[in-house]
Amino acid sequence: MEAISVEFTKVGKRFGARAVLAAVSGTLRPGEVLVVAGPNGAGKSTLLNILAGVLRPSRGGVAYRRGDEEVPRREWFENLGMASPDMAVYEELSAIENLRFFGRLRGHALADGALAELLETLGLPVREHHRAVGTYSSGMKQRVKLAQAALHAPAVLLLDEPSSNLDAAGHEAVAALVARFRARAAVAVATNDPREIAWGDARLDLAL
Amino acid sequence: MRASTLLSESLAVLGKELTAELRSRVALNAIGLFGLTTLIAVAYQIGPYQIQEQDRPYLLSALLWIILFFAATSGLSRVFVKEEDAHTAKTLRLAARPLAVFAGKYLFNLILLSALFSLIVPLYCALMSYRVRGVAGLAVVLAAGAVALASTSTIVAAIIARASGSTTLFAILSVPLVLPLLVMLIQGTRAAAASAELAAVLPALQGIVSLGGAVLTVSVYLFPVVWHD
Ligand SMILES: Nc1ncnc2c1ncn2[C@@H]1O[C@H](COP(=O)(O)OP(=O)(O)OP(=O)(O)O)[C@@H](O)[C@H]1O
Ligand SMILES: [Mg+2]
Repeated sequence: MEAISVEFTKVGKRFGARAVLAAVSGTLRPGEVLVVAGPNGAGKSTLLNILAGVLRPSRGGVAYRRGDEEVPRREWFENLGMASPDMAVYEELSAIENLRFFGRLRGHALADGALAELLETLGLPVREHHRAVGTYSSGMKQRVKLAQAALHAPAVLLLDEPSSNLDAAGHEAVAALVARFRARAAVAVATNDPREIAWGDARLDLAL
Repeated sequence: MRASTLLSESLAVLGKELTAELRSRVALNAIGLFGLTTLIAVAYQIGPYQIQEQDRPYLLSALLWIILFFAATSGLSRVFVKEEDAHTAKTLRLAARPLAVFAGKYLFNLILLSALFSLIVPLYCALMSYRVRGVAGLAVVLAAGAVALASTSTIVAAIIARASGSTTLFAILSVPLVLPLLVMLIQGTRAAAASAELAAVLPALQGIVSLGGAVLTVSVYLFPVVWHD
């Protein structure tokens, strides 16, 4: 996977009359973690959705670049991994079935052994891999969601409150995941958790 | 370039739908319950003998399609709403190309419709003493009807999932798409019942196939817009 940087320039977002982001600029660089911080409602999740391309900014723009070449918008998603509170995996499927499914969609079909290993590094023990996600605790679901984001080794990783619902061990596992991706991917983490803020090589503070 | 093909992605979506449906049975239960209740109500209240002999071909084919259509609506309209409700829509949106999502859901709806038709139609014929002379003709009309109804249901379900997710809206949006389709299905069924000649269903069949094809073609262009806001 070739390195991609994500540049956003004067991004603004309004929901009706309500201005959420006003002219926010910055860059996600490969090999760097950008922490997006700010109080509840400041627009952290909104910014990540704009960077992902699932939400259109009202002003300004986002560009994905691979070296000097701009990555066309239709290729953003395949280079992107994302986990956020408004995303979920399928409750009727087991953790392994979910990862198999998302792997097939992404043309990144891994052997079950590799999927199990990924889940284990995120702290989901093998004995839990084969029951329906609907029967999981919220922390266990969060771990599957993170595995879904990391599965295809994306060049851009966007994590919104990645440690939500996680215990101390889960938090360590996310720290290890971010450290692993930092080496070659562009990573953004939206958070207010001081421990996660400490992961950042760069920091963007959004105000209300 | 992505390594997966449109076909493999579509089949992955279809496989996911089937696995999830076999475990939750939400759509199957809705369709089965709705189909059987209306069928039994009709059979009990009207039965085979309340209808004059000369009216039978007209009324029996119309009643059959009313039962099939409402049962289908109750199950098929949730195919996209359920993704929004479960918060899997964004995860799916990021992982699959729109056309694969549409194709997978379309095939899933087609399978549900085929299951519904094979459950209700034989029961209906038995309970209402509906003698169909052109069994082959009826089979062709049913098959074409499933293909066409699956395409209208899938695109309308996608639109309402983005709008508000109410089943009433599904019914309203379906009217201009489904009304002519239903009329032609009823005509085709009546023709099949009356004549053993396969040619008897051809006029209706042409209409069903062209309308279904037109809706499917438009959907291929419309769906990505609907799916990504
Ligand atoms: N789809 C939407 N329609 C209307 N308003 C929205 C929408 N999405 C977000 N907002 C508003 O935008 C503001 C920013 O929301 P956002 O979720 O980005 O905040 P956040 O910084 O992620 O907050 P938190 O720390 O609570 O996660 C909020 O006031 C929210 O109500
Ligand atoms: Mg948020």
